[in-house]
Amino acid sequence: MQVKYLKPILVTSALIGLSQWSGLSFAQSADQLYKRSLAATCANCHGTDGKGVVDGGMPLINTLTSEQMLTQLKAFKSGAREGTIMPQLAKGYTDEQLTTIANQLGKKQ
Amino acid sequence: MDRRHFIGQSAAAVGLLAGLSSQTKAATLQKAEILVIGGGYGGATAAKYLRLFSNNTARVTLIEPNTSFISCPMSNLVIGGSRTLAEITSPYDTLSKRHGIKIIQDSVSSIDPDKKTVTLASGKTLRYDKAIVSPGVSLNFKSIEGLAQANKDGVTLQAWKAGPETVALHKQIAAMREGGTFAITIPEAPYRCPPGPYERACQVANYLKTHNPKGKVVILDANQDVTSKGALFKKVWAEQYAGIIEYRPKSNVVGVDAKTKTLKLEVEDDVKADVLNVLPQMSAGEIAIKTGLANSNGRWVNVNFLNFESTARKDIHVLGDSIQIAPLMPKSGHMANQHAKVAAAAIVAELSGWEVNPAPVLTNTCYSFVNDREVVHVASVHQYNAAEKTFKTVPGSGGLSPAPSTLEGVYAWGWAHNIWADSLG
Repeated sequence: MQVKYLKPILVTSALIGLSQWSGLSFAQSADQLYKRSLAATCANCHGTDGKGVVDGGMPLINTLTSEQMLTQLKAFKSGAREGTIMPQLAKGYTDEQLTTIANQLGKKQ
Repeated sequence: MDRRHFIGQSAAAVGLLAGLSSQTKAATLQKAEILVIGGGYGGATAAKYLRLFSNNTARVTLIEPNTSFISCPMSNLVIGGSRTLAEITSPYDTLSKRHGIKIIQDSVSSIDPDKKTVTLASGKTLRYDKAIVSPGVSLNFKSIEGLAQANKDGVTLQAWKAGPETVALHKQIAAMREGGTFAITIPEAPYRCPPGPYERACQVANYLKTHNPKGKVVILDANQDVTSKGALFKKVWAEQYAGIIEYRPKSNVVGVDAKTKTLKLEVEDDVKADVLNVLPQMSAGEIAIKTGLANSNGRWVNVNFLNFESTARKDIHVLGDSIQIAPLMPKSGHMANQHAKVAAAAIVAELSGWEVNPAPVLTNTCYSFVNDREVVHVASVHQYNAAEKTFKTVPGSGGLSPAPSTLEGVYAWGWAHNIWADSLG
């Protein structure tokens, strides 16, 4: 199975370059750190910052907007959407936490 | 505006911002020396996320003796012969190339928590402001009579730390006489990877079914019953491996006779086998014990679950299999990765002068292959409980697969590729 990383090297380099300008592009705050660390609980299966391994076998989530992602997460939590692991995991998060995760990982429109 | 003028202005702006930030919160974060000891699922993830959560400003050094990472999850498939070691091996150098982590290929011989220094096997001494200790488990070979020597001689193998023994164990199974017996012994819980031994029994049985149909697998379990996914495993053993797998609970192995390949049990009669996979009692990694961190029965490390700081020594954070677990928290690679993110966020917050997140969350997902394609899972969500200062699973969340499936076999590989990329990529 060929595994490709979604993030091209050029983009990564650009991001690392930008992040040196701390305070410009990546203003950090306690609130932002909290949101990133909560969303990081999803990364084991769905990739760092929601960027999953392409063709790795796991459904990709970074194609969804934040709104679509929240709808799916809530459907898993309520049982409206069936699945293997996601219905079981979604039930462990509060609605507020699911909203934070969807806002953090979903595609911005 | 000409180009030079623009660059000059930008540089001045960056300088001003850098100056501002150094006068405020970021100064401590940027100056702190953070040493991560051990590049497994806990340590590698901690190193990467310290850089991510600090926007690449934290100074992070990872100390790891191995040149590449070999995953314990999935390694049972190598023992069963359906996968190779290369397929479960990842390089460490992405952590330095992509994330700017300094990697030292060495092992730690001692930690001085008073002087806040770490001495490497090479003799070099490093100073730290924060140390993250993620050494996995140590296998207590001395807990079983004759085991230390038998394992040294290769008569018994552990293959519980994936690597050369993983391949060696597969070779022993492949070379086993026709109709021979493979015995795996399980220590009393807690041990690394609760369902791991049962998955391994399935993988060996799956191999024997094709290559040595009269061969047998005996599971000698010191526990009262199967410790994880019990009903699922028992159903698979009855349906897919009837006449091959024999499960014996309450069977505590206390001795090994290497000459006759015989296992001595505490109560029951001796068991003779052709291939011996003896898993002894486990405890926190050696460096954690040596440093005096194992303050839970001398075996495991008690931590503050808000930041994974050892309750024994300040500024030493301990992750993964070495810790005294919270209720229903497994010792797993997935869990170690999750510990690492909570610890990394807490350390970045503390060094930035911010409040540490008072309500962290952890998840666990564990897939077990029952043959080379079908998989069962167990999953859980653990929310921090402030009143009890521990993590507790959320009622109604988590659970098991209803039955083995090939769909979950695909997801299991998806999980593996993603967690390897999340921890090391």
